[in-house]
Amino acid sequence: MNKLILGRYIPGDSILHRMDPRAKLLASFYYIGIIFLARTWQAYALLLVFTLVLIGISKIKLDFFIKGVKPLLWLILFTVLLQIFFTRGGHVYWQWGFLSLTQYGLINGAYIFMRFVLIIFMSTLLTLTTPPLSLADAIESILKPLKVVHFPVYEVALMLSIALRFVPTLMDETTKIMDAQRARGVDFGEGNLFQQMKAIVPILIPLFVSSFNRADDLATAMEARGYQGGEGRSKYRILKWRTKDTVAFILMGLLTIALIFLR
Amino acid sequence: MTNQRRLKMVILNGLVAALYVVLSLFPGMLGFASGAIQFRISEGLNHLVVFNKKYLWGVFGGVLVFNFFFSSENKLLDTLFGGGQTLLALLILTLVMPYLKQTWQKMLMNILLFTGSMSMIAWMIVLTGSTGGTQMPFWPTYISLALSEGLIMTITAPIMYMVDKVVHFDAQMKS
Repeated sequence: MNKLILGRYIPGDSILHRMDPRAKLLASFYYIGIIFLARTWQAYALLLVFTLVLIGISKIKLDFFIKGVKPLLWLILFTVLLQIFFTRGGHVYWQWGFLSLTQYGLINGAYIFMRFVLIIFMSTLLTLTTPPLSLADAIESILKPLKVVHFPVYEVALMLSIALRFVPTLMDETTKIMDAQRARGVDFGEGNLFQQMKAIVPILIPLFVSSFNRADDLATAMEARGYQGGEGRSKYRILKWRTKDTVAFILMGLLTIALIFLR
Repeated sequence: MTNQRRLKMVILNGLVAALYVVLSLFPGMLGFASGAIQFRISEGLNHLVVFNKKYLWGVFGGVLVFNFFFSSENKLLDTLFGGGQTLLALLILTLVMPYLKQTWQKMLMNILLFTGSMSMIAWMIVLTGSTGGTQMPFWPTYISLALSEGLIMTITAPIMYMVDKVVHFDAQMKS
C-alpha cells in the first residue's frame, strides 16, 4: 500500500498544476490527436521540444516520465523493428530474404518511436500534475451536456469518486486477506494452473463480501445525511476556467498550424 | 427504481470499479502465471454482468479508472480503446443474454464477445504503430491479443461461478 501513489499525482505549484483540470484533460486528448499530423522530422522535433518545455514548466523530474515508457518498451521495440525491417523505399543498406534495412524503414522506425514516447509523456504529465478527484470533477463537468440525452452524469461522477476513494482501502484489505491466507499455508502463484485457480477463490470471496458490506454502510450513511442525487448539490471543489486555460488552447491551435505547415 | 435502490446500485458499482483496479494492481500475486505469460485476474470481473446486467457500469468504470489513473503505459489511448472495447462487449452481452438460459451459455458468449472485440485494441496498436508509408500487421497483433484474452476469460469463468455460489451477485444488486 505504501508503494502506491494514488493515480501517481505529484503535488506542486507550477502553472500546469494550477490549470483547470478540464483544460488539461481536453488539451491532452487534443495533443494526442495532433501527434498523428506529424510526418517529418521537423514536426517531431517541434513536438518533442513542446513536450519537454511543458515537462520543464511542471518542475517534475524527467525520470518519472522515462519510468512511464519502460513498461511499454517491448511493444515500442516490436513496432519499431517491424517498421525498420518491412518498410521499403530509399537507399537499401542490407537485405536478407523478405527482410530489408532501408532508408525509409529507419526513418519510419524513428517516427514511431517518437510518437509512442510523446503520447506516453503527455498522458503521464496529465496525471502527475492533476489530483485524481479533480480529474473526476473534470470528467463530470465535461460530460454535463450529455444530461440532455438522460445520461446519468452525477451517478457516473459519484461512481468514479467512490472507486478512487476506495482503491487504497481495498488494497489494504487485499493485503490483509492474503497475509491471513498465507498464515494458513496458501502459496500464491505456486503449483499448476488448477492449484493457482483454487488459491484465488478464498481471496475473492472475502474481498467481495467486505466490499458489498461497505456498499451497504455507505448507502445507509449517505441516505441518513439526506443525499438526494446530484441535482442542486453544492460543491467543495469548484472548477474555474481562467485566462491561462484559454492560452493553453491558443498554444495548441498554434502548434496545430505549425504541424500542418511542416507536413 | 427508488432513490435508495439507485444510490445502492451506484455505490456497489463504484466498489466493483475499485475492486477491478485493486485486482489489476496485483498482477504478480493475484494473476495466473503460465510460463512467460501473465494474466490479470481482474478480467474475470467482466463475468459479473452475466449475473446481473447492472454491474456493467462498475466493470466499465473499473477499466476506465485503471487505464487512466493507474496504468503506467499508454494512458489516454488505453482509456479510450480499452473502455470502448469493454463497453461494446458488455452492451452486446446484455442484449443477447435474454436469449440464453444457462449461466455457462452466457459466460461462453461473454468470452466470445471479449475475444472478438480485442480487434479494437489491435486496431489501436496498429493505428499508433503505422506511419504514412507502412501499416502494422493487424492479424498477428489481433490473434495474440485475442488468445490471451480468451484464455484468461475462460480460466476466470469457473472462478466467478464458484464465488457467486457464496456471494450471490444478483441478490446483492437487488437487495
